[in-house]
Amino acid sequence: MYGIGILKGLWVTLVHFVETFTEDFRWIGKKRYYSEEGVAARRSKDAKGIFTVQYPEEKLPVPEEFRFIPFLVYEVDEEGNKHDRCTSCGICAKVCPPQCIWIVRTEDPVTKRPVPEPVDFFIDVDICMNCGYCAEYCPFDAIKMDHDYELASYDRHAEHIYNKEKLSKPVEYYASIRPANYTREEAIKAAEEAKKAEAAAAKAAAAAATAQASGGEQAAS
Amino acid sequence: MTEKTVTPTVNSAGYDVPPELRQSVAITTLDKIWNMGRRYSVWPMMFGLACCAIEMICTAASRYDLARFGMEVMRPSPRQSDLMIVSGTVTKKMIPQIVRLYNQMPEPKYVMAMGACASGGGPFKEGYNVVSGVDQYIPVDVYVPGCPPTPQALLHGLMKLQEKIDRESITKVRWYQKDEIPAIPVPILGPDIIDPRDNAAIREMASRKAAPAAPAAQPETAEAPAA
Repeated sequence: MYGIGILKGLWVTLVHFVETFTEDFRWIGKKRYYSEEGVAARRSKDAKGIFTVQYPEEKLPVPEEFRFIPFLVYEVDEEGNKHDRCTSCGICAKVCPPQCIWIVRTEDPVTKRPVPEPVDFFIDVDICMNCGYCAEYCPFDAIKMDHDYELASYDRHAEHIYNKEKLSKPVEYYASIRPANYTREEAIKAAEEAKKAEAAAAKAAAAAATAQASGGEQAAS
Repeated sequence: MTEKTVTPTVNSAGYDVPPELRQSVAITTLDKIWNMGRRYSVWPMMFGLACCAIEMICTAASRYDLARFGMEVMRPSPRQSDLMIVSGTVTKKMIPQIVRLYNQMPEPKYVMAMGACASGGGPFKEGYNVVSGVDQYIPVDVYVPGCPPTPQALLHGLMKLQEKIDRESITKVRWYQKDEIPAIPVPILGPDIIDPRDNAAIREMASRKAAPAAPAAQPETAEAPAA
């Protein structure tokens, strides 16, 4: 007999349709829509009925390793001055597969020595392929992948070539979107600094000891 | 009646309605009601070019559900569609067909460049066989970055397009003007893609290249009678 498959399919749709309303009854008093727990319930494996994410009002939580366009991390010191972590070494621009990063370097007008912080930093977000190589290769943890994906606009050349001002975000923002990565990196950094301090202390002690020994010899002779 | 119950709707035209009439009278402009009708019935054309098309299919499926925006009717024919989502890498072999499809769409029509490849060529921007940005051939209304854009990013792009439609005015849009809109010339597939709009420049370049060859040939012909 023909049409059994169609009827079966329609039956599945009907069950989903009815279950949407029975679930609404079970959720009376709780917020099934436009709330975090509602989204979590609808995307779980036990979800029944409608499982559409009502996008502009509610958004699917993105995983920590989700990556979109890169951003630059800056730190704020006690006096409120912004300091880029970026040293404009250009490794990100070199590894970028679609070559969408431009860095403008600068030098001190008096001493003619290069200044580590870049004057400007451009990323063409319409070329970027979100591979994350720049963040992977950056030796200073200065460029990281963002979670913000709502970037559509009407003009590519005026709005989609991001400059340093548009790319820079504070280190607190990075810590908020990638907490696990941030704590791991900070722990590694702290361990390295402790090691350096230890080595410096040992070196100083050794220098003091040799100075004392040579001083003693001089006194003896 | 508190202030909250009479929040101005999307279609308010900016005129003050007396408080006693607010529950029974709504004022709008023809533009607003016209645009509301169009913004909730944008029918995309059903075609995909590369991996971005997978995300587009996902957006149209029940998890994200384009039908909430009135865009669920993906038409397989350009004659019935309003929106062209260029979803993926546009190769030089494909651009003549894209331009032809664009010409076949009835006005009003919109183009969305979805993903890095369609917007600017992406990783293939200097490639030998990929057009670096579909906007070199057809006018693009919304650019959605990402490689590929997630379904939610694409939905954000579609909402941006709706905002653009909202701002249009019947008296100003180009498809209600008197003069005819010329079709975009279809590029010709060759060793390198040829845009017919560049024909004058190409001809001039060819003649400039041919010009020095002519004086070089002249001495030979001049010598011939002497010998």
